Amino acid sequence: MARKKIFNNSIPGKRSRRVTINPRMARRSFLKLSAAAAAVSTAALAPTLTRKVSAQTKAKEPYPGSKKVKTICTYCSVGCGIIAEVQNGVWVRQEVATDHPVSRGGHCCKGAGAIDMVTSEKRLKSPMKRVGGKWQKISWDQALDEIAAKLLEIREQDGPDALHFNGSAKVSNEMAYLQRKFAAFWGSNNIDHQARI
Amino acid sequence: MAGVANTWGYGAMTNSLNDIRHSKLVFMIGSNAAEAHPVAMQYILHAKEVNNAPVIVVDPRFTKLAAKATDYVRIRPGTDTAFVMGLINQIVSNGWHDEEFIRARVAGFPEMVKVASHYTPEVVEDITGIPASEVVRIAKLMATHRPGTVVWCMGGTQHSIGSSNTRAFCILQLVLGNMGVSGGGTNIFRGHDNVQGATDMCVLSHSLPGYYGLKDGSWKHWCRVWDVDFDWIKSRFHSKEYMNKKGFTLARWYEGVNQDDKITQYTPIKALIQWGCAGNSNSQMAKVKKAMDKLELVVIVDPFAPAMSAWGDKDNVYLLPCSSQYETSGSLTSTSRQFQWRFKVVDPVYESRDDYAIMAELVKRLGFADKFYKNIKQVPEDITREICKGTLTIGYNGALPERIKKHTLNWHTFDIDTLEAKGGPCDGEYYGLPWPCWTETHPGTPILYDISKPVARGGLPFRARFGTKITYKDGRTENLLAAEGVANPGSKVKGGYPEFKDIVPGTNWKTDLSQKTIKEAISRGMAPFGNARARCVVWTFPDQVPVHREPLHSPRPDLIAKYPTYADKPDHYRVYTKFKSEQNPELVKKFPFVIITGRMVEHMGGGAETRGNKYLSELQPEMYAEINERTANNLGIMHGQMIWIESPDGGRIKVKAKVTDRVDEHTIFLPFHFAGEFEGKSLMDRYPKGLEPYVTGESANVVTNYGYDIITQIQATKDGLCSVTPA
Repeated sequence: MARKKIFNNSIPGKRSRRVTINPRMARRSFLKLSAAAAAVSTAALAPTLTRKVSAQTKAKEPYPGSKKVKTICTYCSVGCGIIAEVQNGVWVRQEVATDHPVSRGGHCCKGAGAIDMVTSEKRLKSPMKRVGGKWQKISWDQALDEIAAKLLEIREQDGPDALHFNGSAKVSNEMAYLQRKFAAFWGSNNIDHQARI
Repeated sequence: MAGVANTWGYGAMTNSLNDIRHSKLVFMIGSNAAEAHPVAMQYILHAKEVNNAPVIVVDPRFTKLAAKATDYVRIRPGTDTAFVMGLINQIVSNGWHDEEFIRARVAGFPEMVKVASHYTPEVVEDITGIPASEVVRIAKLMATHRPGTVVWCMGGTQHSIGSSNTRAFCILQLVLGNMGVSGGGTNIFRGHDNVQGATDMCVLSHSLPGYYGLKDGSWKHWCRVWDVDFDWIKSRFHSKEYMNKKGFTLARWYEGVNQDDKITQYTPIKALIQWGCAGNSNSQMAKVKKAMDKLELVVIVDPFAPAMSAWGDKDNVYLLPCSSQYETSGSLTSTSRQFQWRFKVVDPVYESRDDYAIMAELVKRLGFADKFYKNIKQVPEDITREICKGTLTIGYNGALPERIKKHTLNWHTFDIDTLEAKGGPCDGEYYGLPWPCWTETHPGTPILYDISKPVARGGLPFRARFGTKITYKDGRTENLLAAEGVANPGSKVKGGYPEFKDIVPGTNWKTDLSQKTIKEAISRGMAPFGNARARCVVWTFPDQVPVHREPLHSPRPDLIAKYPTYADKPDHYRVYTKFKSEQNPELVKKFPFVIITGRMVEHMGGGAETRGNKYLSELQPEMYAEINERTANNLGIMHGQMIWIESPDGGRIKVKAKVTDRVDEHTIFLPFHFAGEFEGKSLMDRYPKGLEPYVTGESANVVTNYGYDIITQIQATKDGLCSVTPA
């Protein structure tokens, strides 16, 4: 049934129309075309192609002394596998996990660039505070001391419910659990996260 | 998820992505998986191409997913319940329902049918805009292609009647007998990578971890797990009342600051911690911006400078750089309820610290570290163990850190068709130990409510959560437990039974920390939570059976009169929430277009991560609004021209027009990942220098409207109104 038609547009007043041709046919003609294209390009570009292939083989060799780490993409809930290659503590390359039982080597454009989460120059580099409308770098100790002091002051004056905590669906189960536990120990149910919206 | 949990026990995807390989039909409503879950598409396309399954996509917009559909149904935003109740009405009145399944495992069927009978194809056409003939045709397709699966996302939930929509989807599957079978189920694709896990951990204002709720018994359970005194925890709260009272939600926390709607809390909110959460994901975003300047303290914890770092004028904001999740480790729960261990790739870069380290430093300074970390020495594994110890309700207890790691390290040993390991160290277990994973040797539950397998092998009946008997309004009394003869293979009781309790005196299966109760149930071949019927009637909801109610901001004044919304709710998660008083039939005169929002494949959520990625930014560098050709021509708007979109709540954005017939002439679509511009002005100079995102744009949520679900308070971003003018 799926191959026979199909796209039934339910806009009132518009007639149904067929938009896809038989995908088998389409695929076959595509293969023919690409075979022809491949023949042409191989003939014309043979020397270049040979060099490219050998360069590729070399690129597949592991970085000297590197290790491979199995990990999971941080974007959506499909949970795609990622194989990260790490050399001297630096993430140097990522590979698709063709043997992962859910993603099976698949990646979207985001997951394909998972490594950029670590290499991006736009990452926050140190704690900051806004002073006189400008962002100022501060130390971790200063940041945490000031934040804790202010939180305790507000708690003392206004009570624990004067704090609201928006937690995250982008952290591990363990961290999500700690966020909820934090609110409980702080003494408030004013805690929520993205699942609400 | 509240709608789903109230139907049969758990609020989660019932089957798995891989299991869609066995579907004979895929019905997707309010999901654009091709962009939001691209790697899941292989299973949908497998069903389509190998099983010849019709792929029915119901959406106001012709999405990239719709382009892969066999049948596309264009629906008016916010009318899902009417359409699905219409399908149910067709199925039942033609006798296509699964009588045996309903007799044995469903409650409240006749009461539901009575309500559904209102939704004739003609009534459905009037409400939804879907031709009556299509309603009949789709119902027949679903009846003749079983088992089929129903998939939805935020397009189904982000409405004032979101929890009615989700219940209607569940009832549809019950009527067709598509529950508890491979290829069937309600496959709710969750959004963020760990939204299932974070929901299970209940980073939620109405519950403690594992959906235990906020009652005294729930607090006492967790106090035993934490090994702290109940009275000490009580002393931390303002008063006992506030310990049991639901808190503010992510959707409306800012009202605790602004108080534009009246709040029911003894103090306004004065401090905010925003930890891994995008401020531009809130509807009526300008109100969040306003709240920032009223707060005394704003702490933002994020790997990138998020939208919020460019808002506000006060010197009250701290930015703390947490590492990305590749620079730490821990478990996460995929949409298919599978646990995976995210192994650490590298140490935190720059001066960033991982989440655990930041939390530890904060807790230490707040003075309760000794109690907080009492059982936690090794991070994160001891935290996983504490979760396992307490989260019995959803069977996290069998998913010990060693087992999760073993699965992830041996992912190649699992079969993609069944998700079962073929030999190797995980032989016979299902990938990721999909919860509930009842014991340390349980293989996980790949399909919820599947009575064809023994409970010890991953089978389950529906959960007995709503009592054993009910008398409906019309006087009919019904037994809520499953019918005689209906139970998992090997069950000592051949039929329905209530949940297990008093195996260890004074406890039940959820509170017995020795887990003897759970083990006893499994050894008798039975489910710890009982064996009951799924229900079509939820007597604790304002609409006991799902009915259509017009969106608060509706383009159809005539239908507002016919299907008005609820009465206002004075204390809805501590804030007065308007329903009836907000529903104004005159609004459409000034704001004639319906606004919907959605994702693009290149970006994620609020976009701080992906707009901080130069490659993704290059692929999708610009905010835009999709506007129908006819509408654009009538308004004198050219493709690529700048336009103003204004909401009835006062928000306005200046964006580029993308003229397309993906949307119909009444609808405007906006992607929601952008930030860094506000009401026509750039905020670039307000980010920390050098950390501005590569691309900025107006945030769609500046113009999303007022409106919240009556049960969950999820924001209604998929059915508001707006006006459009050339800029």
